[in-house]
Amino acid sequence: MTDGALRTFGALAGEALHDAVRRRIVPLIAAVSLLSLLAVDSCTSCGVASLTTHGNAVEVLDIASWTGAVIFLVLALWMGILAGLLGSDHLAEPLADGSAALVLARPVSRHSFALARLTGALLIALGAGTVLLAVTAGLLHARYAVALAPASWAATAAGVGAVTLGALAAAGSLALPRIAVALLVLMAVAGIALVNTLSLAGAELGGIFAALDRFGPPLLTAPALALSPWLEGVKLPGVADVMLRLLLWLGGSLALLLGAFSRMEIHS
Amino acid sequence: MTVLELSSVTKHYGGRMALDGIDLSVPRGSALGLLGPNGAGKTTVLRLLLGFIRPNAGRVLLRGKAPTQAAARVGVAYLPERLALPPRMTVRGVLRLHAALAGLAGAERDRSIAAVLEQTGLAQRERERVGGLSRGLLQRVGFAQALLGSPEVLLLDEPISGLDPIGVRDARDWILGARERGCTVLVSSHLLSEVERTCDRVAILHEGRIAASGPVDELVGPGEDLEDAFVRVVRG
Repeated sequence: MTDGALRTFGALAGEALHDAVRRRIVPLIAAVSLLSLLAVDSCTSCGVASLTTHGNAVEVLDIASWTGAVIFLVLALWMGILAGLLGSDHLAEPLADGSAALVLARPVSRHSFALARLTGALLIALGAGTVLLAVTAGLLHARYAVALAPASWAATAAGVGAVTLGALAAAGSLALPRIAVALLVLMAVAGIALVNTLSLAGAELGGIFAALDRFGPPLLTAPALALSPWLEGVKLPGVADVMLRLLLWLGGSLALLLGAFSRMEIHS
Repeated sequence: MTVLELSSVTKHYGGRMALDGIDLSVPRGSALGLLGPNGAGKTTVLRLLLGFIRPNAGRVLLRGKAPTQAAARVGVAYLPERLALPPRMTVRGVLRLHAALAGLAGAERDRSIAAVLEQTGLAQRERERVGGLSRGLLQRVGFAQALLGSPEVLLLDEPISGLDPIGVRDARDWILGARERGCTVLVSSHLLSEVERTCDRVAILHEGRIAASGPVDELVGPGEDLEDAFVRVVRG
């Protein structure tokens, strides 16, 4: 990329971020994130002790690891949902209101414009998600001394999943109304989270559910795999398979977005 | 050298033919007025030249390149018929963004922004949000972004719509000023008198075809003005 192209991308991404910050959904994201942080604080505030259930001693550290992993994974999914919701109209909106035309009349490639709009939306989603995940990992580390490295890998996997969802939503928004894309994002995340959870719990899945778990974007499986040092006794799939699939979905979603936007006719 | 060129271009939207094998070329430094009744295909021509849409047949070149390439649009500025800007942006913010997209940076960018603010009478309004501007002032912002960095090619779609008489006169001066600098101009307009004053050539589009084209003085017959010639051509 040349200096000029970088400057152009920087200007567009900065503008897209400013645009995203002013969205009505952003105060909602901030409020939900704040509530999530309070909930995380509350859920990780047990003292270190030993419990006995059915005559078996259970270390609070084990409980904390499980609770922490569950909270972490829920927040990872939340980051993906945010990316999908913001991606569902951050590219489509300037196309619909006509403001994209003035920009695209400049020496700006369609790829640059689409990626800059996606970047603006993702910076909000990834920013909020990173804060939530970092605070969660920090609290768990400070209170129960759980390892931080798995958390950082899980956050990275969750981030890749969020970028994938954002790109897919942005690509979908070029053909579908925003509400339809938003509903698809919610349904997709819920469906994938469910089948990934059932699969991790050892359930035998069949048909479309097995296919979704085996070939779909591993939105929950990938961060869960990264958190495996926190989780004992869980049947986890191979790392290489899941991470490769995560990256393939990332590449495929970006290619779909750029391909669809390049071919799109702009009538504004 | 031909700066804008359409060769045997056909474009249809679904079953509706918008352009039917048109040929059009604009040499460097020339100003072409693109005239035609509503739905004649004027805006389609501009969209093709900017690479927003692709022809079903034929070839479109902007500065000798396919307009879908970003490099073809270097030095090109556009003012759409319905100017849409993010309402929260300030006038200066719009100009800073478009200066950056036009490849201007540093002191050159600041000089260019100051010059177009002064030229378009927006210097006192640079901190205002564009969402609060009147239609006429918004159109001035549109001209200001188009004039940034002295473009080589100006594509203007109904550029004087929404302007008051003073604004119309100013717009005319801006277009003529750009021409004096050697800028190639294409103006799509219904206001024939303005086209007559600012352009040296016209092309009349009718039902997706070029019904007439050439220098203004050749197209206008004895005792006619451009409006008479337009009506004669369109009504056959």
